[in-house]
Amino acid sequence: MHRHLWNLVLGIFFGIWCLGFGISSAAFGAEVLPPKPPGYFNDYAGVVPKDKALALNEKLAQFERDTSDQVVVAVYRKMESDSSIEDYAQRIAQAWGVGQKGQRNGVVLLVFVDDRKISIQVGYGLEGALPDVTAFDIRTRHITPRFRTGDYAGGLDEGIDLILKAIRGEYKGDGGTVREKSRTSPSTGCGPLGFLIMLIIVLSIIRLGRRRGGYGYTGLGGPFVSSGWGGGWSGGSSSSSSSGGGFSGFSGGGGSFGGGGSSGSW
Amino acid sequence: MKTILGLGKILAFASLFSLTSCGSYNRLVTLEQTVNKKWADVQSVYQRRADLIPNLVQTVAGAANFEKSTLTEVTNARASVGQVKLDPTKAPTDAAELEKFQQAQGQLSTALSRLLVVSENYPQLRATEAFQNLQAQLEGTENRISVERNNFNTAVQEYNTALGQFPTNMLNKMFGFKERPFFNAAPGAEKAPEVKFDFNKPAAPTATP
Repeated sequence: MHRHLWNLVLGIFFGIWCLGFGISSAAFGAEVLPPKPPGYFNDYAGVVPKDKALALNEKLAQFERDTSDQVVVAVYRKMESDSSIEDYAQRIAQAWGVGQKGQRNGVVLLVFVDDRKISIQVGYGLEGALPDVTAFDIRTRHITPRFRTGDYAGGLDEGIDLILKAIRGEYKGDGGTVREKSRTSPSTGCGPLGFLIMLIIVLSIIRLGRRRGGYGYTGLGGPFVSSGWGGGWSGGSSSSSSSGGGFSGFSGGGGSFGGGGSSGSW
Repeated sequence: MKTILGLGKILAFASLFSLTSCGSYNRLVTLEQTVNKKWADVQSVYQRRADLIPNLVQTVAGAANFEKSTLTEVTNARASVGQVKLDPTKAPTDAAELEKFQQAQGQLSTALSRLLVVSENYPQLRATEAFQNLQAQLEGTENRISVERNNFNTAVQEYNTALGQFPTNMLNKMFGFKERPFFNAAPGAEKAPEVKFDFNKPAAPTATP
């Protein structure tokens, strides 16, 4: 009887192995996407005063609590890609999953100071509230004129204000951010069959009686260390390194982007 | 006793096989649905571009003595795009069909980018708000087209890969699943950013690296 069960377990592992092949076939290009930033406002280029950056970060965190919209701003020195700014920015926004999954209500404002490139990426769910024309207007009439004079803080401040003004009222928040609400709940995307398989695996592991040491790690709540990677992204005053208790960290809600928004040079 | 054990083994494998092939079938159906959904998204962004054109033509035609030939070209390309009708709810299974669709859309892309290039000779037109709005929308639409095409290709790739794999590959003959063709990767004329314009850039003030 035990051998019967063992055969079943072996067979199921084989089945999973077969299925696994289909999933692992995603292909990626050679460019480097910056990792998901720790905060809502991230200045890796050191062009915005720290207190200002922190204030903007709090403002954006509060905006998510109020409206559930996620607006993330990141200022870098250089692009790590040969693509155009609009393609690159769309991939970054998509990779970070800014916005809630259901509403897809994220906006990402990316600035590459040395390249003099800027992009506003608008998630699918906000394309109505913040259409391309409005994003274009915010970018070319309010942000880049100030950037040209070297006033990055002022341009970003005004740009963020206008973006928030445009999208406020589209969705309602529930008082918390994704990070504040997040728990490490297991994903239930497998359906009943997956659940059955998982159950059998878990049972078999228990039966085998093998124990491994406890991991005891949670990916949440730790200090935010914006580690430098690939050379280009590090070496700025990231707003996260500041003290002043209660820095609100950012976690993406799984939003998606379809190329809406406006991008260009200044 | 031994035969019972052997029978148990066979039963275990048989039930396992039906279990995994059942899962594979469901997965294929899901993947096929995703491909169709992405195809619908592609269609809707192309439609969005087509919808912009009457407005664009009208705005540009209003400008004093605007070059007529470029306008006619856009109108004609728009008309021929309308003639290549593919089912918007189901991704094409015929590569030639998709190729034809892509060619028509590619012609429209070329005509549009030419129109925008020509419009540089009409600074008065470019200064109008109507034209700037249209330009912003066109840019956005081109970006969306490239995003949705990529998403479609990714979905097709995943589906086609699943079709060719064991044990799924035994199912496609039974249930008639078919491989789907891709969009070609930017064959010149289709390359979206051609339509990109930056009229805040008279002397290309890009920083030298």
